[in-house]
Amino acid sequence: MLRKIFGNRDSGVPGLVFFVCLVVAFAPSLIAQTAGMGALTGRVADATGNAVANATVTVTSIDNGQIRSATTGTDGTYKFDGLPPGKYRLKVEAVGFKTLEIPSTTVRGTETAVVDEKLESGEPINEKPSAAQQDNLPNAPSSITTSSSATAPSLSDLGISPEQAQGNPREQALLDKRTHMLKIHQRMGLITTIPLIATVATSINAGGKNTSTASRDLHTALGAVTGDLYFMTAYYAIRAPRVPGTETRGPIRFHKAMAWIHGPGMILTPILGIMAFNEKNNGEKVHGIASAHGPVAIVTAGAFGAALLSVSVKF
Amino acid sequence: MNKKILIAFVLLALPAFGGSDSQWVLEQSSLTYHVSHPLHESEGVSHAARGKGVCHAGECDFLIAVAVKSFDSGDSNRDLHMVQVTRGAEFPIVTVRTRLPESAATSATVNADLEIQFAGQTAQYKQVPFKLETQGSKTHITGTIPATLSDFKIDPPSLLTIRVKNEMPVRVDMTWHPQ
Repeated sequence: MLRKIFGNRDSGVPGLVFFVCLVVAFAPSLIAQTAGMGALTGRVADATGNAVANATVTVTSIDNGQIRSATTGTDGTYKFDGLPPGKYRLKVEAVGFKTLEIPSTTVRGTETAVVDEKLESGEPINEKPSAAQQDNLPNAPSSITTSSSATAPSLSDLGISPEQAQGNPREQALLDKRTHMLKIHQRMGLITTIPLIATVATSINAGGKNTSTASRDLHTALGAVTGDLYFMTAYYAIRAPRVPGTETRGPIRFHKAMAWIHGPGMILTPILGIMAFNEKNNGEKVHGIASAHGPVAIVTAGAFGAALLSVSVKF
Repeated sequence: MNKKILIAFVLLALPAFGGSDSQWVLEQSSLTYHVSHPLHESEGVSHAARGKGVCHAGECDFLIAVAVKSFDSGDSNRDLHMVQVTRGAEFPIVTVRTRLPESAATSATVNADLEIQFAGQTAQYKQVPFKLETQGSKTHITGTIPATLSDFKIDPPSLLTIRVKNEMPVRVDMTWHPQ
């Protein structure tokens, strides 16, 4: 079979034909199998060994016609658990590659076969789900009503190349990491709001003429908690991966602009606060640059609140 | 001589008996998804869909494809989250397939069975109503696909720990012309 396929390459159309390496590994299943049931796993890869995601793998029991299908993940792997022992026909379909069909492979309850296949790429297939997939679809009708005919247009008819239709797992991983970090950023920001409000509220008893040391200590402690949480929040935003080629548009621009106010403010406020704290403890009236602690803190808290609202409420 | 004329006539007449194929091309389109959140009502629009219909023997097979990244909600951060949550980098193209009778082009309404591939999943929507309006040789189609996030196994994104609603209707506004 390999010779036959590679023979096609020699007679192929240069520039249009490229080759796919499809490695179907029926490795022993790592998942516990039920007694008497077999499993079938494998990996779909292209010629360079890169995983092919979103390939549809369909197994059909030669014994009873039962069909099951699966889609490969970002690492190109698929898995069928709980397959009754017997002979199966295997079909692999992926956009931009020719369909691979393995006429017969045997699944046993206790052992599995290993089959390596190489396949020539070709015209993109119509992205039709298999019959088994159809049955598992939401809103799936009892019969396939939109099945493609020989004349049905394909993605290539629309000028969409296989490369454009092919997924980019690396970019997806980048987006996943970005979203994960920004989710933490969002939650931390919400948590930070609580001590921030408490700090502002306790400032009334901390800075007036008739204030106690206990009030100032409470205000200072809350301010310190706010600062710590704030910088943890900022860390997750700053370290979240950037997506190349993305222009910042919409409310997120305002959200980011506010960071240029509350960021320096969150550094300056505690410095001024410490100065004011020391002056107060020395029995002095807060004076000089330390007297800016309150106004700077208010501006900082205001910018923080505005940043939060800008991405929370639609204006 | 008469025999040659007869053969020529038969050969010329054959295509008429075989039925001629025709094609439709998507000229312009707006696809708009709508997402609801207690604090937000967001919409993302794409004008980048491509489509083609091939008619044969009284039936037309249509394919519409649009890049996930082409949807614009007016906020780049939200768009990136949308691409992430719908696995748009892994599955960059949304496809919609349907088969309609050729005679539907002259109707005022049509109910279409749609097969949509999105986010690595396929969902079918039966008898989705669309309005048709013929303007010269062009046909203007409008309607709403009652899509939901769960149809495509999309984990509903959340804002301030509140999740968006499952419903994600997609408004369709397309102009087709025969090729």
